[in-house]
Amino acid sequence: MKKKSIKEESSCSRREFIKIGGAVAAGLQVGAVAGAGLAAGKDPSTHTGWQHLGDNTQFVDRTKLVREGPAYEIVGETLRPARQESAFGRQGLIMRDMWQYREMIQSFNAGEERQQGMGNRQSVTERETAPEVTGGVRPPGEASDFPPVEAFTEPMLSYYKARPDLYELDKVRIEEIMPKKRQDHKNYGEYYTLINAWSDSWSTHERISEPPEESDYKIGPRQRIGDPKPFKSPAHASRLIKKVAHHFGATMVGITTIEPDWCYNYDLRGSENRETYEVPKHWKYVIAFGVPHQWEQVNSNPNSGTSFDAYSRSSIAARRLETFIKSLGYPARRHSPMDGYDLIAVPYLVKSGLGEQGRHGIVITPETGSNFRAAFVTTNLEMEIDQPIDFGVKEFCEHCQICAEICPSGSISKDKSNEGMNTRGYRHWEINQTSCYNFWMQSMGGMGCRLCLIACPYSRKSNWVHSLARKLDTNDPSGLVDNGLTMMQKKLFDAPEAQEYLPPPDGRFANYRQPPEWLQVKNYLDIEVSDPTIGE
Amino acid sequence: MITNLVFFAFITGFLSGAVIIAAIFWAKDMGLQMNWWKWLLSAIWYFMLLLLLFAAFTFIGEGEPAAGWRTVGISLFVMLVLGTGLYKLLQKDSGGTGH
Repeated sequence: MKKKSIKEESSCSRREFIKIGGAVAAGLQVGAVAGAGLAAGKDPSTHTGWQHLGDNTQFVDRTKLVREGPAYEIVGETLRPARQESAFGRQGLIMRDMWQYREMIQSFNAGEERQQGMGNRQSVTERETAPEVTGGVRPPGEASDFPPVEAFTEPMLSYYKARPDLYELDKVRIEEIMPKKRQDHKNYGEYYTLINAWSDSWSTHERISEPPEESDYKIGPRQRIGDPKPFKSPAHASRLIKKVAHHFGATMVGITTIEPDWCYNYDLRGSENRETYEVPKHWKYVIAFGVPHQWEQVNSNPNSGTSFDAYSRSSIAARRLETFIKSLGYPARRHSPMDGYDLIAVPYLVKSGLGEQGRHGIVITPETGSNFRAAFVTTNLEMEIDQPIDFGVKEFCEHCQICAEICPSGSISKDKSNEGMNTRGYRHWEINQTSCYNFWMQSMGGMGCRLCLIACPYSRKSNWVHSLARKLDTNDPSGLVDNGLTMMQKKLFDAPEAQEYLPPPDGRFANYRQPPEWLQVKNYLDIEVSDPTIGE
Repeated sequence: MITNLVFFAFITGFLSGAVIIAAIFWAKDMGLQMNWWKWLLSAIWYFMLLLLLFAAFTFIGEGEPAAGWRTVGISLFVMLVLGTGLYKLLQKDSGGTGH
């Protein structure tokens, strides 16, 4: 009886031990899972990084995503882009006309002084434009003002008459934003010393100095390309080109054919002709590829980030690929951020199946979302081409609007869909390039913004949780995952409000996330800085 | 990386074994009449708890602590509600609560 009791007691205590042990094991398992989660989140191999040959590059099998039909729906007369349509392109035209306007005002001032006996010497320009020569009437305003619409010459005169809204935005940039920017640099420039150095280091470049008929057939300044080496088939050519482009630093690669509408209608690089040109006959194929930004700094946009890291890397990849193709005897020309483009990036990325155009006007890929920069090589090497893809971006962007809500300049449309939008005959999301550019000019650090690029839910890291979300989203026709993910991003992930990214006093030069410690001046440099992000 | 994964799998496998054995004893002592679908639901609940915590700490690891802690809070609340419901279900057709 006593023995039995001891046995029962022993059995009971063993049972209790197993039960408590199991509870402890469950606790430990929760701890282990939390630790594993931390490690998975921190893992640098999940950065959507450069020249990473692992499973976060080209991991999407696009054959399942191919859709029928053309890259864009044509909704009007299709046109090639003119220089003045681009906020960057018309900058040169604005400067030219502003310069003439200033000269005219100064010469009128000098003429008035001469008439008042305060001077009698004329400069060469004054001899041509002085009021006593031209009989002109003194224009209103000061030499430092943005000229009135009538003072512009063609094509800006007609353009501004047709787009008075853009005239106003350009005027604000020249008269208010630029002087303010200079003042901000004076006050806070040193706070951004490291990001500026980092940005500048990526922005070295060289220019193409000969027209396509020359430069595309040369390796270096003198060596002509040899006879073309035949490939076994276009599919073999395509496979090899994608493989080497990948090794040259391209994360994603797609191939398509040239579309004249999507080649700029001015400033063919290397050509003396600055206006319209025929698209060269040997530009038959376009190899499109993308390289993501360095992960830590891209999150600290708009004031502590830069475009130049990915610009530089995609440009270097383009140079390497151009040379590779030329070495096989085929003409080739690179189109890249550091060497300039003769074609528009976005539609070729869409047509080559790298991604879909989002609400923010740029392309979203299945691999890195919007976090990438594109470069291209045009050639006549015959290759198998890729088709546009559909992985649900159109539907996602229609209800997401995160990029539009966070955009400090309000440049991104908040319309329900892009119906009715018509860009030179093609339907796609449009942004206000000029107000976007105006914000670029206000931001500090490596200039630009990139907020829409990084706030896009598709641009998150490539770790298991975001990869799973992307996979579920791609394969869910009901839209439930779309809605769930958008809600989660808005409710779970903090980000400053759009206004906060503006310069003081309207904003506080906020960043989407804190810059990495190696881009914070206080950690490395012994200089006095004024931190604008903490407010007055 | 592979070594870490193998080590992690070994540890969690060992802990899972201990949890399963202990769960059998807990169920018996609590007087729960378990069957296959009750075990399945319990396993799903436990797996969901671990998965949500894994996701939450992944957010913290990637530099999104606010998102991570919010996920922890929401997950614990949701799992508590589901756990209560599950417990009621487990008690169904069971004689009593044992000790």
